Amino acid sequence: MANETTYKKSVEEAIGNPKLSRALHLFGDAYLIARENAFKGLDFQEMRTELAAIKDEVRVRRKELLAEFIKNAEAAGSKVFLARDTKEANDYVIKLAKEKGAKLIAKSKSMVSEEAHLNKALEAAGIRAAETDLGEWIVQLAGQRPSHMVMPAIHMFKEEVAQLFSKEAGKHLAPEIKALVDHARERLRKEYFNADIGLTGANFLIADTGGIGLVTNEGNARLCATLPRVHVVFAGIHKLVRNIEDAIKITRLLPRNATGQLLTSYVTWIRGGVPVDGKQKEQHIILIDGGREALYESKACQDALRCIQCGACANVCPVYQTVGGHVFGSIYISAIGIILTAFYEGLDKAKEITRACIGCRSCVAVCPSKIDLEEIILHLRNEVSKEYGIGVIKNVAFKAVMKNRSLFHNLVRAASKLQLPVTQKNRSDESGPRIIRHLPLHFMAKDYTEWRDLPAIAEKPFRDQFETIVQNVAKPLYRVGFFVGCGADFVYPEVGVSLIKVLNSFNVEVVFPKDQNCCGIPALYSGDTETGEYLAKQSVQAFTDAGVDYILCICPTCTMAVKRDFVERLADHPQWSAKAMALSNKTMDASAFLENVLGASFKLNATGPARDITYHDSCHLKRGSGVFREPRALLASSGHKVTEMKNSDRCCGFGGTYSFLSHPQISRQITKDKVETILATGVKTVATDCPGCMIMLKGAVGKADATIRCAHTMELLAESLEMKK
Amino acid sequence: MTENSIDRFIESAKRVGAEVLRIENLPEAAAYIAGKAQGTTLVPETPLAVRHGLRALLAAAGVDVFGKSFREAGHVPGAGVTFSNFAMADTGTVVLESTDENIRLATTLPEKHFVLVDPATILSDNLAAAAPMTAFHRDPAPKFIAYITGPSRTADIERVLTIGCHGPRELHILLVDGISSDLMEN
Repeated sequence: MANETTYKKSVEEAIGNPKLSRALHLFGDAYLIARENAFKGLDFQEMRTELAAIKDEVRVRRKELLAEFIKNAEAAGSKVFLARDTKEANDYVIKLAKEKGAKLIAKSKSMVSEEAHLNKALEAAGIRAAETDLGEWIVQLAGQRPSHMVMPAIHMFKEEVAQLFSKEAGKHLAPEIKALVDHARERLRKEYFNADIGLTGANFLIADTGGIGLVTNEGNARLCATLPRVHVVFAGIHKLVRNIEDAIKITRLLPRNATGQLLTSYVTWIRGGVPVDGKQKEQHIILIDGGREALYESKACQDALRCIQCGACANVCPVYQTVGGHVFGSIYISAIGIILTAFYEGLDKAKEITRACIGCRSCVAVCPSKIDLEEIILHLRNEVSKEYGIGVIKNVAFKAVMKNRSLFHNLVRAASKLQLPVTQKNRSDESGPRIIRHLPLHFMAKDYTEWRDLPAIAEKPFRDQFETIVQNVAKPLYRVGFFVGCGADFVYPEVGVSLIKVLNSFNVEVVFPKDQNCCGIPALYSGDTETGEYLAKQSVQAFTDAGVDYILCICPTCTMAVKRDFVERLADHPQWSAKAMALSNKTMDASAFLENVLGASFKLNATGPARDITYHDSCHLKRGSGVFREPRALLASSGHKVTEMKNSDRCCGFGGTYSFLSHPQISRQITKDKVETILATGVKTVATDCPGCMIMLKGAVGKADATIRCAHTMELLAESLEMKK
Repeated sequence: MTENSIDRFIESAKRVGAEVLRIENLPEAAAYIAGKAQGTTLVPETPLAVRHGLRALLAAAGVDVFGKSFREAGHVPGAGVTFSNFAMADTGTVVLESTDENIRLATTLPEKHFVLVDPATILSDNLAAAAPMTAFHRDPAPKFIAYITGPSRTADIERVLTIGCHGPRELHILLVDGISSDLMEN
């Protein structure tokens, strides 16, 4: 419990210090532009597919390649030591330093040395470690740990750096960046000359040469590897590649994806004991396991070791941008940090941060090694739940209630009546659905309604309205099954009604299998796979029995669930897996169906005056299903003028239970960013294709400006069709 | 290689802050260096430097060529002058086989690095370097090969790009025809 309290406090502290978050937002925006420019003329998808294949082969052949590396390194005069854990690695360096009578080690950047807490171990043995990477030196002087893999001191400002440098130098230094860098250049130069040992990391361990590769910008690694008499290489075993060509391919991705550089200032390839002051240098290569073998052996998580440590998953992460790397991570931060922390430090250390991922998949979209970080994090969250539980509320909600479909649905119907005292009419739309503006208890208000209105549960869910809807489709082109999803069923049934209007106008009949249940994602994202599997079976059966041509969703998370997760959840059940696969092949988002199957944008002719709208891409629609062109085409062809908001595909902060139960404070900040970008367009209608995003946007935008309307694409299309009549 | 690659190389190298010039011959390059280099200048005696009499050319142009062991040249010598093995057009990178320690000292310590590149050794891109890079490693001897792309840089304070962190603050790339088209020597 103490652990959890400390974590919560650190989240609140980070949110209370908006300066860091502002800086990370500016960085994130600049990064996206720099990265796009860096990949101009190159095929990122093709490059990352190739890198993933290289890394997968290395995983399979790792024992053989490691032996080859060691043989070749030794042939070139290197001494190689295999360390089972970071303690063995530290002990080796300390023993070596003592043998040499070494008092000072000049270090260039090495994340695995952070993982090993090497500096602390050296200090305890009376050996001084001088960090020479500027960011690492700043962090060392501050007695902190890096908050970013590529830019360790990204959380600090020049005033703080000037204070640290002034204190160390014993003289006043002004907070001017150029002057501070010059000071570091002058001050650290003597460390290389005085050091007895130079220690570097390695970006590559090249099996067929026995050499290492270093990718750097400042030039300090070159000095650490050149001036001192002894060179120690500290590297994780996952840095292995087969040959120089593999390594070159990585250098084409790493700087472009890390900082938007085509190449770093220096890439240094060192094999063996090169000359030092007329003699042969002593080179020691320490290869560290430290949990990597276990990670390689984990089927569900092994892809994480494809990581080339570019830090991009942090750069684009809305949670990282909100709270920074000291909260969202341990030694390694952000999405990859969650996974590495679990394996290198233990699941208990990763317990809190596995829940801190909002599931927006922005990291998955930019990962140069094609790691499905979100999938692995969900798996770990499930492991955490098995080990430590998912909490009483979720346990009752998922296990006792949701698995029993009629109980679940009757409870929601009852809730629609019970909530009446706290609901009120929507200011912007008097006839529209009621909303919840205040909750009676103060502590709930802070997390829930102080910053957004919550939607009320609809008086009549979609499932109770369906049979009363008359569909005038004589000879339907297709019969489609509608997977409604809880958001549209109980909160926004009008979206389902709109969908039927739109589809009917294209001569498509809608079927609603009543036995369908929740897609199970809320349970699954909370780490309850058992309930997830149970719910998948219920819906798979209902839609198989319906015998329809397609299955359509108006919630992108449901689309992902039916299309991908049902198949995976039921893969080990022979009687279910074929059915799930058959449904998967027929399932798509409603916008994608309209555009890609029906070619609707060619048939929808604009009517009436153009309406200005802005479009918010739902995370799971764009990055989960690759659908973002389709809704824009549909809206444009039905007479809407789409004005793009900044970062239209950045998460709205919803994240399902994330914004209600686990991290409402972080959600609040992410939503604030989204509201700002919407307000900046000056447009009064926000379209989106996700009921989850609608809950978030209607509530928060409504609180900020009651004249702005947020609607599902299907609602806007239905309205256009009405106007046409 | 092709004019196309040369143009692309010049553009890429300039974009990362290198000075790039096409110069008629080595004496003119020496004159350019003499105009820019200040203080002690490290000029490694590599096979190409010996063959082209580089030290003498520079000294004649007025460069203060350091004659003793490079480790005695102080912590921050004024300049370093080297040849290169080859270059890569897509990233504006020069490649120096730097196993000889003097090449490393002359390219890491000084304020300014002047590098002489034969345009015939410009490869179209990084992937094309896989062959010569593999060739360097054919024998099992120790090797130190450096890719250099622009001057030393950092963005570690407030993500502001700052030139001249631990390596040279200036990189001058002088393209001179007829130095050597052999990618294996510098």
